[in-house]
Amino acid sequence: MIATYRTLLVAQFQQASQYRVSMFLYLLFSLIRPIIFLAAWTAVAAARGGSVGGFSAADFAGYYVCMALVLHFTTAWNAYEFEFEVAQGRLSPKLLRPLHPLHYSVVENITWKFFTAFGLVPALAFVAITFQARFETQWWNVALFVPSLLLAAAIRFFLGWIVATAAFWTTRVNAAVTLFDRIMFIFAGQIAPLALMPGILQSIAYVLPFGYIIGVPTDILRGGATLDQALLWMGGQVFWLIVSYAGLQLIWRAGVRQYSAVGA
Amino acid sequence: MSSVIDVRELRKMFHVSEREEGLGATVRALVRRRYRDVPAVAGISFSIEPGEVVGFLGPNGAGKTTTLKALSGLLHPTGGEARVLGFVPWRRENEYLRQMTLLMGNRSQLVWDIPASDSFRVLQEIYKIPEDQYRRALDELVALLDLAPLLHKPVRSLSLGERMKVEFAAGLLHSPKVAFLDEPTIGLDVSMQARIRRFIAEHNRRTGATILLTSHYMADVVALCKRVIVIHHGVLLYDGDLAALASRMAPYKVIGVTLRDGSEADGLAAYGDIQSRDEARVTLHVPRDAAPERAARLVNDLGERLIDISVGDPAIEDVIDRVFTTEATS
Amino acid sequence: MIGRYARLLLVFAKVETQYELEYRTNLIFSVLQQAMIMVTSIGAMLILFSYTTTLNGWSLAEMLVLLGVFYIVQGIGDTLFGPSFERLLEHIRLGTLDFTLLKPANGQFLVSTRHVKLRNSAQLVLGLVVLGIGISRLESALSAAQVAGFIVALGCGFALMYSLLLVLSTLAFWFVRVENLLVIYGAFVDASRFPVDIYPGWLRVTLSSVAPVGIAVTVPAQALAGRVDALGIAALALAATLAWVLSAWFWRRGLRSYTGASA
Repeated sequence: MIATYRTLLVAQFQQASQYRVSMFLYLLFSLIRPIIFLAAWTAVAAARGGSVGGFSAADFAGYYVCMALVLHFTTAWNAYEFEFEVAQGRLSPKLLRPLHPLHYSVVENITWKFFTAFGLVPALAFVAITFQARFETQWWNVALFVPSLLLAAAIRFFLGWIVATAAFWTTRVNAAVTLFDRIMFIFAGQIAPLALMPGILQSIAYVLPFGYIIGVPTDILRGGATLDQALLWMGGQVFWLIVSYAGLQLIWRAGVRQYSAVGA
Repeated sequence: MSSVIDVRELRKMFHVSEREEGLGATVRALVRRRYRDVPAVAGISFSIEPGEVVGFLGPNGAGKTTTLKALSGLLHPTGGEARVLGFVPWRRENEYLRQMTLLMGNRSQLVWDIPASDSFRVLQEIYKIPEDQYRRALDELVALLDLAPLLHKPVRSLSLGERMKVEFAAGLLHSPKVAFLDEPTIGLDVSMQARIRRFIAEHNRRTGATILLTSHYMADVVALCKRVIVIHHGVLLYDGDLAALASRMAPYKVIGVTLRDGSEADGLAAYGDIQSRDEARVTLHVPRDAAPERAARLVNDLGERLIDISVGDPAIEDVIDRVFTTEATS
Repeated sequence: MIGRYARLLLVFAKVETQYELEYRTNLIFSVLQQAMIMVTSIGAMLILFSYTTTLNGWSLAEMLVLLGVFYIVQGIGDTLFGPSFERLLEHIRLGTLDFTLLKPANGQFLVSTRHVKLRNSAQLVLGLVVLGIGISRLESALSAAQVAGFIVALGCGFALMYSLLLVLSTLAFWFVRVENLLVIYGAFVDASRFPVDIYPGWLRVTLSSVAPVGIAVTVPAQALAGRVDALGIAALALAATLAWVLSAWFWRRGLRSYTGASA
């Protein structure tokens, strides 16, 4: 399996390097949204004489810089690709190979993130400086951040795939993806730090997996939460990892059955 | 009557960047690009009269599509002059565009999602075709091309042949006086090719439209064009009657002999040039004038040892091949 | 002349809409999607305003006006020329632009309006609704001058956006991967959902000059909110006219390059 991954990674790297420019530009694009809302919250903080619910303008900057980082490393776009592949009939050959199609997706995902990381770090540094970001990070925050980020990325990946399997049943995958995106927009901490969201939305965010995808790793990295709280959050992440993985297995199997019943 | 198409010393140079392979060359290319001047058309001249159907022949890269693009107005030549219907094509004046059409076999101008009839209505508006003229043209095209069942289905659901027919109709809806056809039968099956050819011939007969077509398929050219223009390496090699071309470039006849006993095949070298041997079947090239006499001698001399004999003209492909190879070695 | 092109536009719209109406479920889903996006955007706005009554001096009512203008501008763009420009990139890539060039009608017009997508006007309609709500909650009543200023500013903003998109699409004549630039354009459009003045210097400048989508939305909203004077609108009108002329010139330049004409 390791050898397979290594081969796939090398091949994917070579392909990806041809799309350097596209990737870089897409990266810039993905930063705009956090910057927009950061600017908005900074204005709100200024209107309230400096801070909103314990967040100063500098805290917001710190939050959004971390959030942008987490957002970037947890991205998954499998739904679009999958819909395309199913429509073009390119899924069938993959199903006949002794390697689950998901692995290709994992490799593609990792490669892209690796490539764009080189552009992301300077860009975020620039934002941090421009907005004078403030962080309360301690060593254990960083130590916990890495596994938390990986958990979050995995959850997002599996959820993304669950949405993608809609392609087995309908051509209107676009609608499902948009719905998922907007839910993420609301509940994952993009509009505002989860602590500032209206109570009911916060509760939903932590009951559903969405808070654990962006909100949790961001808050861990930024600092400001206690160790106990962080560990509790990560427990939630593990729970949702298991649930989303199991859910994916179930729906994938049902989907493939449906696909072959219709004539792959 | 003045000619419809008048070309004088047409020239087109392409500026192509070239790069060797390898990482070092790639990096160097980022900093300094090397360019090469490729003469696609190197000074050709010809005139075409109204109503003619002329075939443009040449291998890939010969300059035929470049010439066609210049004449239709898509390409600005580097030098020389051309007039079509009195207009300078690359000025793309609306008056000119209303009277001409360009059909490309491997490219579609119709919008795929909507039925052809809707696209036709759009074309009617764009070309400002009066309703009665539109009706007449459409009815004629529908009849000639059997389009009735195809008009109201989305274009993407049509087969390749059906799509080609609809594209033809779309291109001729405005009754153009000049039609440029670029590889019109490419990718079609044999029977559809024949039908398209018949349509083009019939359309030319009915409307008197001048047609300039390029094709890889000799059958297209042979069926439709009395006159051919042969281009190679951007230079005009031949302009005239197709039949005359054959007798000039390939002054031989092809005799096919089937023997009872294959071992005798070598002996046939006395009757002519042996081109190919397939067990007991031999193909000979003999000088044109000598053909009847050689054929008669073969029948006489071989008698019962001869199963079958055929006498025919050289394949047009071979004729054209000779034109190119002669030019290449001269 | 205007009549001719107005009729052409009508034919395009009729043909494309006929096709869209055939796929009713797709249409419904598309409208629902647009509505969903708008509702969540309004929600985001409301969350921001739950903590304050003004955002950089803009009240909630004024922000709703801005958001309404944002969706109106986006709606017009996505309906009228956005889809057509997307197709232009495809045409250049596949070589089917040749057919458009040989049609006896203005190439720029054909390329910009051929694929009118009426279903995207759901944003436009909803934007008008939001605009209406915002206007109804404004503190002071609207004067005729403000409304006039709004209409002029909206028209100019629209012209600016069109010109920018035309320039970006024209680059496809020289560069193969222009889709990337369009992604950036999309990002800047997204940023114009808030008034340009809340952004840090570099972004504000970009949204006002390089990618003037920012002022295309902000200035009309300012006009209704009484925050801009005649001079500001005149400046916008001048910029819009300049942009329109320059972009048309650039398009012709691109065509000349495509057809191999000497410069």
